Amino acid sequence: MLMAFGLLSAAQVVEITFWTAPNPSQEVFWRQMAEAYMAINPNVKIVVSPMPEVPTSEAGILAAIAARTPPTASENIFIGFGEQLARSKAIVPWNTLPGWDNLVQNRAMNQTIEGWKFADGNYYIIPLYVNAMLIGWRLDILRELGYSQPPRTYSEVLAVGEVVKAKYPGKFVWLRSELEVPTWWQRWFDFFVFYYAASQGKALITGREITADDQAAIGVLQFFKTLRDRKFLITEPLATGFELGRTVMTVLGPWTFPWWRENYPELVYGQTFVVTPPPVPDAYPAEKPVFTFADAKGVVLYAQATPAQRQAMWEFIQWVFSNPAHDLKWIEITGMLPARDDVGTNALFTSYIQEKEPALLPYAQNIPYALPPFAHPEFVEIQELMGLECIYPVLVGELTPARGWDAWKRAIRPLLVK
Amino acid sequence: MNWKKDVGGWLLASPYVLAATVFFLIPLGWSLSLVFYDWNLIDPVRQFVGLENFRTAFTTSRVLYAFVNTYKYAAIFVPSVVVAALVLALIVQHLPRLKQFFAVGFFLPYLASGVAVGLVVRGILSYDSPFNEFLRATFGSSPRWLRDPTLALVVISAMIVWKFAGYYALIFLAGLQGIPRELYEAACLDGAGPFVQFRRITLPLLYPAFYTVLVLAVGLCFGIFTEPYVLTGGGPRFATHTWQLEIYYQAFDRYRAGYGATVAVLNAVATFVSVLIIRRVVEAWGVRRGFR
Repeated sequence: MLMAFGLLSAAQVVEITFWTAPNPSQEVFWRQMAEAYMAINPNVKIVVSPMPEVPTSEAGILAAIAARTPPTASENIFIGFGEQLARSKAIVPWNTLPGWDNLVQNRAMNQTIEGWKFADGNYYIIPLYVNAMLIGWRLDILRELGYSQPPRTYSEVLAVGEVVKAKYPGKFVWLRSELEVPTWWQRWFDFFVFYYAASQGKALITGREITADDQAAIGVLQFFKTLRDRKFLITEPLATGFELGRTVMTVLGPWTFPWWRENYPELVYGQTFVVTPPPVPDAYPAEKPVFTFADAKGVVLYAQATPAQRQAMWEFIQWVFSNPAHDLKWIEITGMLPARDDVGTNALFTSYIQEKEPALLPYAQNIPYALPPFAHPEFVEIQELMGLECIYPVLVGELTPARGWDAWKRAIRPLLVK
Repeated sequence: MNWKKDVGGWLLASPYVLAATVFFLIPLGWSLSLVFYDWNLIDPVRQFVGLENFRTAFTTSRVLYAFVNTYKYAAIFVPSVVVAALVLALIVQHLPRLKQFFAVGFFLPYLASGVAVGLVVRGILSYDSPFNEFLRATFGSSPRWLRDPTLALVVISAMIVWKFAGYYALIFLAGLQGIPRELYEAACLDGAGPFVQFRRITLPLLYPAFYTVLVLAVGLCFGIFTEPYVLTGGGPRFATHTWQLEIYYQAFDRYRAGYGATVAVLNAVATFVSVLIIRRVVEAWGVRRGFR
């Protein structure tokens, strides 16, 4: 009788697996969440582990799906890869599960979630964090050069470059060696940042159409080229630039701050560096918000999970995302900002940020203007062609910015109709 | 009795047979079947595309770059590594003592991690390295080592030469040690100097070692991956792109398993044909010079 009861209890326990990003702090957060949830839900066993990187986390997920051993759910999925998984019917749309609208409401994601809608109208990813990519400036060097605040427009940046070179010939405005490398994801941290700023956030690609603001894109390319031609931009490998004061500007994500605290404690927000939105064209209205690229990833539910596992995971996910205290815990542990509309206004978050990590404040304030990557299954080649057909030839003077931009558009058109 | 002997032989060979089956034959068969499909590993439906993957591979510039660059690498790497290995072998051969110590020392780069070496080289060649600072202070500028297409190719080739010269030197050293001393003594009595001895005795009798090293070196050029992956990513503008980088890119960046397998098959064919040609050329050279 007792044995039968024991067997029955064991049968009622649903085991689900959750893969975290291969980042120790994210793993810590999810382990804590799982332990807290299991303490109040003994009928669920959640196994949390970091996703394999063989050789990339995306390839690890594909291999697991192919081998029919994926987790029930995982984080660390950006929208481009999510589009590929959705097309292969490997993931489940969250919005088909009961209680989706409540979750969006409870987590204050009404505005944020719109950037995560897939072409079929579904939401396959619950955004977990949004890292607006902003620009770090060496305030101490700018002050030495006679500036009290960082430049806002292209002309102002170029003017700073002239002063930097006049006083410190060995220094540069910006180190970006990856600009000459076609690696697809590097475009997120250079061209996309400046393009969204210049175009007021106009999408590069919508569905199968190129919807980019040509003038803004060409302006960005011209800006890069001018910086390089005047030797304000260094594109050769350089071990460390911004941290050692060899450059005055860098594209900066909030994950850098814990590393700086460890390795460059002399970099203090408001004293040695400040953070601003990306530079914009000279004609950009000063009163308008400046958009930027968002390094943003979220959580997906895999289709190979059983209905019971899906249900158990959905309940766990609702529990995690319905409590703002969990998002605060996320900030505390990972140093990244949760994908919520109110992260820059909710006192729960702003008071913590102001007290503990003031450098995060501009990131929180810019979340509404931070746009995730575009969703297209050919994202890898589209972004690689941007480096190959456009940015590199423009930088080395083989093509004018306008011709380089046209070359990219010509090159990607066959991919868009696939 | 024979049956027992056969079983023993199979048992002894079974670890290799098992490993070869699991890690070579099954993947090979799997790859050969994938070349006819467009598949991303997870889609429930594999789309049969016939020979479309081959048509794409033959018309895309990426594969052409990989194909041509392999011969560019070979043009730099093969003569350089042969000369370097031969020089190292001759130096070790003529050392009065500690021959083994130095032979092992020259072999060590072969064991070094390609990624670690790549990171060290990247550090040495970075814009702000002491080496480049010195060049700028002395000559006013420093080369764009990894951003200039020709220089990047030379840098990567030099790294591979450094890695393999010691290994190939061991092959030459074994060949040198197999040459009877009497031949040199007789040549000396006939009045032959060191250069003539080298040309008339050492080189001809080292032919088997040359043959081995040349075939290995040419084959190696088709498998270059780590060095360009770490240093240049195949750039600038595909100047250092290789077959292996292309396979990796298609399979793991673009998730095109079928097309990646197609490129791998073409790589295998190109390797086989090239090695066959170099073998024939070296054999013909050996026959013509009377080395065989």
